[in-house]
Amino acid sequence: MTGKRRWTWLLGVLAMAAGFSMMVAAYSAAGTKHKTAATKPIGTLRAVLDTIDYLDPQQAYTGQSWWAMWNVYETLLTYRHVDGPGGYKLVPGLAQSLPTVSRNGKVYKFKLRKGLKYSNGAPVKASDFKWAIKRGFLAQGQGVGFYTDIAGAEAYSKNPTPGGNIPGIIVNNKKRTITVKLVSPRGDFLTILALLFAAPVPGNTGPEIQNGSIPGTGPYYFASYDPNRSFVMVRNKYFKPNRFIPRGTPNRVEVSLIGDANTATQKVSSGQADYSNAAIPPDRIADAKSKGHLVLRQTANTYYFWMNIREAPFNKLKVRQAVNMAINRKSMQTLVWGGLGQSTQNVLPPTYPSYKKLNLYPYNLAKAKQLINQAGAKGAAVKVWTRQVSDAVTAATYYQSVLNSIGLNATLTILPRATYYTTIGNVNTHAQTGWARWLEDYPHPLDWFDVLLNGERITDQDNNNYAWYTNKKTNKEIDQLKKAPVLTPSVNKRWAAVEKQIMQQAPWAPWSNRVFPEYFTKQIGCIHIQRLYGIDLARLCRK
Amino acid sequence: MAEPATDLTPLGDNAALLAAEEHEVQIVGRSPTYLAWRRLRRNYVALFSLGVFLLIVIACCLAPVYARHIAHTGPNTIHSSEQVRVSGKLRQVVGGGSYYDAKTNTFVVRAVSVLGPTWWHAHGRFVLGADSLGRDVAVRMLYGGLNSLKVGIGSAFICSFFAIVLALIAGYSRGWPDWIISRFFDLIWAFPVLLLAIAIGSALQVNGFHHFGINIEPGSIWIPLLVISYVLIPYIGRPLRGQILSLREKEFIEASVGQGASPLRIMFSDLLPNVASTALVFFTLIIASNILTEAGLSYLGAGVQPPEPSWGNLIADGQDHIRTAPWLAIIPGLAVVLTVLSMNIFGDGLRDALDPRAKVRVEH
Repeated sequence: MTGKRRWTWLLGVLAMAAGFSMMVAAYSAAGTKHKTAATKPIGTLRAVLDTIDYLDPQQAYTGQSWWAMWNVYETLLTYRHVDGPGGYKLVPGLAQSLPTVSRNGKVYKFKLRKGLKYSNGAPVKASDFKWAIKRGFLAQGQGVGFYTDIAGAEAYSKNPTPGGNIPGIIVNNKKRTITVKLVSPRGDFLTILALLFAAPVPGNTGPEIQNGSIPGTGPYYFASYDPNRSFVMVRNKYFKPNRFIPRGTPNRVEVSLIGDANTATQKVSSGQADYSNAAIPPDRIADAKSKGHLVLRQTANTYYFWMNIREAPFNKLKVRQAVNMAINRKSMQTLVWGGLGQSTQNVLPPTYPSYKKLNLYPYNLAKAKQLINQAGAKGAAVKVWTRQVSDAVTAATYYQSVLNSIGLNATLTILPRATYYTTIGNVNTHAQTGWARWLEDYPHPLDWFDVLLNGERITDQDNNNYAWYTNKKTNKEIDQLKKAPVLTPSVNKRWAAVEKQIMQQAPWAPWSNRVFPEYFTKQIGCIHIQRLYGIDLARLCRK
Repeated sequence: MAEPATDLTPLGDNAALLAAEEHEVQIVGRSPTYLAWRRLRRNYVALFSLGVFLLIVIACCLAPVYARHIAHTGPNTIHSSEQVRVSGKLRQVVGGGSYYDAKTNTFVVRAVSVLGPTWWHAHGRFVLGADSLGRDVAVRMLYGGLNSLKVGIGSAFICSFFAIVLALIAGYSRGWPDWIISRFFDLIWAFPVLLLAIAIGSALQVNGFHHFGINIEPGSIWIPLLVISYVLIPYIGRPLRGQILSLREKEFIEASVGQGASPLRIMFSDLLPNVASTALVFFTLIIASNILTEAGLSYLGAGVQPPEPSWGNLIADGQDHIRTAPWLAIIPGLAVVLTVLSMNIFGDGLRDALDPRAKVRVEH
């Protein structure tokens, strides 16, 4: 290479380097600018929820209440603030790390993080966890059934007193340690501890229901609560964000409770609210989409019709199979929620690793009629039960017409929302068939099969197994799988086999995995959905 | 008021002539019913209202005929996946809607479209359009009207019957029977009608009524019918009792008592005819009131139970689609307004005809 050429080559390299540097700088600048725009603080978020039940961690049992409370009450373990399946991963919450579990799967040891404080400034003690569990039993909270496997909890539940003891929970406030002992191993116990029912509350909290007045440990606390109208969440100044629990982006969240979906949707469309979780009426969905951000939230849920295998004519397998074949699941998605759902014949929703799509009952009305005739059930009187909620009535009305079309003589009984499940779950009601849905409490197949279809868990009152389904083989397999602590591929396969066994007996006619529309104004960006709890306040931003 | 005897000939001396004249010109006796009818037939607005009401009743009674021979469907038959030829073009009864696209693993969001009124361009099918489940709105409107009228008129009969009987017993007997019945009236009166009806209706909708040899299944139309009858009893019973208490002191009752007439005879032969006109006016007004109460109850889910239609639950179903398919709520709403208005105007006319001085009104 000559000297001139060398200089030319060197200048060329320098020019390229300079150009590359400028490109990188420009990209970085653009990135920074973009980042700045994306993280613009949200100030006050005006949200509209359709309803909540309670704002008390030991009592609340609805998705809407949990969405709010997930940001107020932290549990020993919690879930990651990420989209998609990663949101099912358990991470330390108030605990310093994931617990150590004994070899026999019965003893769990936790240590609380240092310097934890409630929103009133009081320190969080290890004994507060024990009090939360005891408080659940004392107040007959809706989630106490999850904790009866703790040693001594069953006995405590029979005669709960504030001074009584659950020997299976050993706490040391000085060392910040919590040890939980179970009577038998339980594969889903960590997810059960992550439920809000187990969120520590100050030891001086009375057992009575206290909506929004219990100090929290999360990024927010409830500043006010006006029953059935509204509540406000504001930042908790004592909260310290960490790797797994970030700070929320809104300074303040004002929540209005509006039951009418049309009104709730209109509030967002007209800019009076930033967000609504109301079920947008199917004929307004396109309009809503054009006026705001419509985000579809896929949660783990299954909508189904149960058939009581103890009651005629559903005590005959052919009748149950006929019903499964007669339901036009695709058509139902449109009729009930404007198409925002996926047809299913599975118990488990498709978000589960144990899910294996079943197609045992293709739509065939003629075959269904034939099966009813073969079973000798033609003209049999059937009472279809449902609850007084718009989508449930629509679905049950369609179901009733299906039963009539295959030769049964079906009538509809609609019960008030508040008494529906207790009525159909009572053995004396002798409910034959009806509408039901299940939304996951925690991401584990046991939350479905053990609660809803394990014959050994049937009770005469408050029974969740509305089909009164029991099968020795299935029950035994569920009991064995209960002990498996980790959902390995082989465990998942076994769950899928259990599901197929059950659906071959057709105690249910599952028909939909619904997606929920979440509706935002166009000014709201960075919309992320945590699979279990919904819209993530930690990542919202204003455009 | 009697006709003025302006054409009477002065009396002469001749008895025969007098008799002849009397034979030619007679003072015609007018019964109170005839006089009331004369007054009523001059009230064209009331008669027109009665005509409208009767027209609605006839139309609703013909619901099965319309459904079978014109619309060719039942009130609860779902046609969501069918197509209908409207003015020669095929139209989906319930179409559109979002769907899951397996290729992209996302939902394609679209609105659901429901067939609107075809106004006789589809051979009598879906004249007033379809609802969100693809049922014929016109058929459901007529059947809904039939159910609403059944409840409205049926409960007016039951309510009036018990109110009259109780008022007669209380007003005639006085003393402790009057005290008990009056407190019973006060007790029901103390509750807001709709709240009480919702409470009783909701309770009965769970398990029905199975007492005293009476078996009413949950969801039966008898539940709203009986609930409305029950809660409105004092609204007729109390004013009637007051009127009977006053009549009880009149000479003709004392005369009957003096002649040894039995209490039952006095109640039903002497007192009842004297309050019959008031009871009749109340009956017409209470029909309108009952139809409104039924609509309210069904709207709130405590009346006629779906899928059976009634104007109240049709309004409730329609309100979810008020922006895109307003006819679903407006048409049954108009039907309720028209029926109640016509019955109220007729009731007022009847009151004016029977007793212009009376101030009969159903208030709750």
